[in-house]
Amino acid sequence: MRPDTTMMPALEVTALVSIGRHPVTGRARRADQDARGVELARSLANAEVSLLHAGELAEASEPALRGYLGMGFSELSLLEQPEGADVLPALAEALDAASPHLVITGERAECGEGSGLLPYLLAERLGWPLVSGLAAVEGVEDGVATLLQALPRGQRRRLKVRLPAIVTVDGAAPAPRQSAYGPARRGSFETIAGSVSHDEEWDQWQVQPARKRPKRLKIVKAASARDRFKAAAAKAEGGGGQVLTDVTPEQGAEAILKLLREEEVLR
Amino acid sequence: MLDTLLPILIFSVLALAAVGAVRRVRLWRQGRPARVDLLRGLAAMPRRYLVDLHHVVARDKVMSNTHVATAGGFVAAAVLMVLVHGFGLAEGVLGWLLLAASATMFVGSLFVARRRRNPPARLSRGPWMRLPKSLMAFSLSVFVITLPAVGLLPEDFGSWILALVLAAVLAWGLGEMVFGMAWGGPMKHAFAGALHLAFHRRAERFSTKEGEGKRSTGLKALNLDDENATLGVEKPADFTWNQLLGFDACVQCGRCEAVCPAFAAGQPLNPKKLIQDMVVGMAGGSDARYAGSPYPDRPVGEHHGSPHGPIVAREGKALVDAETLWSCTTCRACVEECPMMIEHVDAIVDMRRFLTLEHGQTPGKGAEVLDNLIATDNPGGFDPGARMHWAADLELPLMSQCGQAEVLLWLGDGAYDMRNQRTLRALIKVLRAAGVDFAVLGDEERDSGDVARRLGDEATFQSLARRNIATLSKYRFERIVTCDPHSFHVLGNEYGELGGDYAVSHHSTFIAELYDAGRLDFRAWKGGRVTYHDPCYLGRYNGEFEAPRNVLKALGIEVAEMQRSGFRSRCCGGGGGAPITDVPGKQRIPDMRMGDVQETGADLVAVGCPQCTAMLEGVVDSDAEVRDIAELVADALVEGAPSSTPGPASTRQPLAEEVA
Repeated sequence: MRPDTTMMPALEVTALVSIGRHPVTGRARRADQDARGVELARSLANAEVSLLHAGELAEASEPALRGYLGMGFSELSLLEQPEGADVLPALAEALDAASPHLVITGERAECGEGSGLLPYLLAERLGWPLVSGLAAVEGVEDGVATLLQALPRGQRRRLKVRLPAIVTVDGAAPAPRQSAYGPARRGSFETIAGSVSHDEEWDQWQVQPARKRPKRLKIVKAASARDRFKAAAAKAEGGGGQVLTDVTPEQGAEAILKLLREEEVLR
Repeated sequence: MLDTLLPILIFSVLALAAVGAVRRVRLWRQGRPARVDLLRGLAAMPRRYLVDLHHVVARDKVMSNTHVATAGGFVAAAVLMVLVHGFGLAEGVLGWLLLAASATMFVGSLFVARRRRNPPARLSRGPWMRLPKSLMAFSLSVFVITLPAVGLLPEDFGSWILALVLAAVLAWGLGEMVFGMAWGGPMKHAFAGALHLAFHRRAERFSTKEGEGKRSTGLKALNLDDENATLGVEKPADFTWNQLLGFDACVQCGRCEAVCPAFAAGQPLNPKKLIQDMVVGMAGGSDARYAGSPYPDRPVGEHHGSPHGPIVAREGKALVDAETLWSCTTCRACVEECPMMIEHVDAIVDMRRFLTLEHGQTPGKGAEVLDNLIATDNPGGFDPGARMHWAADLELPLMSQCGQAEVLLWLGDGAYDMRNQRTLRALIKVLRAAGVDFAVLGDEERDSGDVARRLGDEATFQSLARRNIATLSKYRFERIVTCDPHSFHVLGNEYGELGGDYAVSHHSTFIAELYDAGRLDFRAWKGGRVTYHDPCYLGRYNGEFEAPRNVLKALGIEVAEMQRSGFRSRCCGGGGGAPITDVPGKQRIPDMRMGDVQETGADLVAVGCPQCTAMLEGVVDSDAEVRDIAELVADALVEGAPSSTPGPASTRQPLAEEVA
C-alpha cells in the first residue's frame, strides 16, 4: 500500500544549517546536529526539503556548506549576513515569507554564539510551536505532525503538533548520511538579500578558548559485577531535588540560588 | 565438388566474421575515450603475446604447451587454409605445411579435451565444454580435406557424401573458430585478447627489447577539474574503451578466482564473474548464461544490465551488488595471475569512485573514516598534534628544524597505533645503531591517502597528496624510508602523477642495504621456526620479495616458506579499506592466512606491514607470534656495532611541541 502521493500536497520543509567546527582540529565542517536535521528532513516521505543558511560565503566556510549539498541537494539558499550580524530578524523574515510547514534545525551551533537560543527566539517571533530533541517525525496528516521526542536514557515521547512548527534535533536523531563530493561540488548557492541588523552586544564580547569544566565524579562502590551494571544502567537519582509548584518568581529564584550555593557553583 | 564448395565456405565465414568484428568493435567504442598509441601498440602486440602473456601462461607447463600447440596450430592452419583452399595454392610446400599445422592443432586439442574431462571448479563450463570438440572438428576436417590437395589421396577420393560430411564438419569448426571469434563465442578471447594486448591501458607493464616490463600498479588519477563530468564509473559505457576491450578478452580460466582471498572467504566477489558481468553490461542482458562459479551466496540470473544502465542500483539489483565491489582487498592477486593481463583492481576502484563520490555510499565505517581524513588528516580522527606522542622520549630529529637529512623517515598512520609504535621504536633503534642521518616530518605528516583512494574518495586522496607533496618540497632528503608498504606504494607510485617524485624504500630494503654495507651486526637467531608473509603492497605492488628474506637470512633465520608466498602470497585481508567496509563472508581472510602459517609449523611469522600485523595479530587461537622485521632486527642488534657513532640526535631540539 503506497500513499497516493499525487493527491497530497508536498510537505515543505526548511532545514536551517550552520557552519560547524570540528572538535579536534577546529576545521569548518557540516555541523553535526544540523546535518542530523537535514537527514531527518530527507527521510520524510513526500517532502520538499530546502536548505537555508544565514551568513556569508567565505572561502573557509564554503566546503562546510557544500557538505550539506553533498547530501543530495542541488541548491542551498544563502541569506546574506555579514559576520557579527544578528541573524534572527532576517531568518524570521525569510521564513515568514517562504512559510514552510516545518523548520528543522540543530539544537545549538558549533561556533559563534552557540547559545542554543535561536530556535526559541525564532519560534517566539513567528508564533510557531517548538519541539526540541527530536528523534523522528513519524508522519504528517491534515497539518498535524506526529513527532517522537528523545528523552534521556533512550526514552521516547510521542507528541502531536500543529504545523507550521520548528523542531530541533540533537545527537538522538539518526546519523547524517555521507556527503558525496560530486553533488557537493555541483550544487549552487541561491543568494537571498536579507535585512541586516547589527548585533552590538556581540561587538563587546571577548572570545577565548573554553576551559574544561570540572566534572562531578560518579563514584560507584560496588562489590560485584552485577552491582556495577546496575549502577551504570540506573537512572540518575535526583535524590535531593524538589519540585516547586505554585510559587512566586521570587521564591523560585531563591530556591535556585540556594541550590547553586549548595553546589558551590556560586560562592 | 569440394573445390568449389571450400572457397565459398571459407570466404563467406570470413565475411560474416568481419561483420561480427565490426559489431564487437562498436560495443567497445561505447566506452570513454582513452589515449592509446594505436600503431605502436599493434606493432608491440606480437611480443606482448609471445613473451609477456606466455610468461604468465607458462606457470602451468601443461596448459602452456597445450596452448602453444593449439593456438599456434590454429593460426598457421587458418592462414594456410585461406591460401591453399581459398585461393587454391596447394602447390609446393604450402599444402604440407597446412597438414603439419592442422595435425599440431589436433594434438593440442586432445590435451584441451583431457583437461575438460574433469575440469577444476575455477573453469567455466557451458559453451567452453564444446570447445575441444570444435577444435578437433576444425583440425581434423582441415587435415583430411588437405590430403587430396597434396596428392596423398586421389582427387576424387570418397563419394560426394563424404565430401558433404567433411564440408559440414569444417563448417562447424569454422563456425566456432572464425565466426564465433567475432560473434562472442569462446574463441572471442583470441580476437579481443590480441587487441587488448595491443591497446592495454598500462603499456609499461610489458617487456620491450630494452628490458623487462615495469610493475605498473599505481592507480590512475581521476580528473577532478571538469565539474559536470560524472566521477567514476556508473554504467558500463563509463569505462574507457580499452577497459571494455580488456573485459572482453577474458578467457574464463578462473585463475583469478582460485587466488582471490575474498572469494575463498565466502565474500560475494569472484573476479572472473565480475569481468563477465562487465561483458554482460557492455552487450546488455542478464548474467543467466554465465557458466562458472557465481559470487558466493549470490545465485546467477538475478542481475542484468545494459551499456547505459547503472552497474550498481541505488536500491534493488542491477548488474552487480555494491558488496561485491567492496569485498575486494585490492591485493592484485587476480591481476598477477591473469594470463590476459586484465586489470580487475582498476575497474573495481573506478566503480567504487562513483559510489563514494557521486552517491556517498561508502559502506561500513567508510564514511566515518573519510570524514576523519578530511577533518583530521588521519583515518582514526586523532589530533594531528598528537602524532608524535609515541616518540616523546626519543628526541627524533624534525625536518622542520634540520631542513635536510639523508633519509626522511615516513611514519604513516601507524604512529597512532600502539602496536605499530613498537615497530617504529624498533626501527628507530636500528637506524640509530647504524648511524643513519634521518629526520621525520613529525606533526607535518599526513595520511598518505592510500585508504581514501581505495575507498574511492579520489578528492580526499588528491587533497592529502597535494598537501603532503607541498610539505615534502620544503625539505631536502635523498630518499624516503617507511615501514608502511601502503605509504611506500602511494608515495613511490601514485604521487608522481600529481607532481611528487621520490625515491622510496621499504624499511626491509633499507635494513638489507645497511647490513650489506657492514653497518649492522646481529646476534645469532635463537628462536624457533620462522615464516615470512609477503605484504601485497610490498611484493606484488612493488616487486620487493628479496630484501625482507635477505634481512631474515642475515639474522640467521631460515625461512620456512608458506605454500603461497612471493608473488602468489595470500592477502592478510587488510588492504583496500576492506577492514573498514567489512563485508561479511563465511570466514575471515586473516584466519585463512594464519592457517597457511600454521601449515609451515612456524612459531613466528615475520611481517613488514602495519596492516598485516594488525590483521594477523587479530587472529584468535593462533600459535604463531607476529613480529615486524624491524622488531626482529632490533632484538638481534649487537650493541656497540661497527659504526656506533653517536646518532645525530644528541644535538636536536626536543620534539614535543605545544600545538594550539
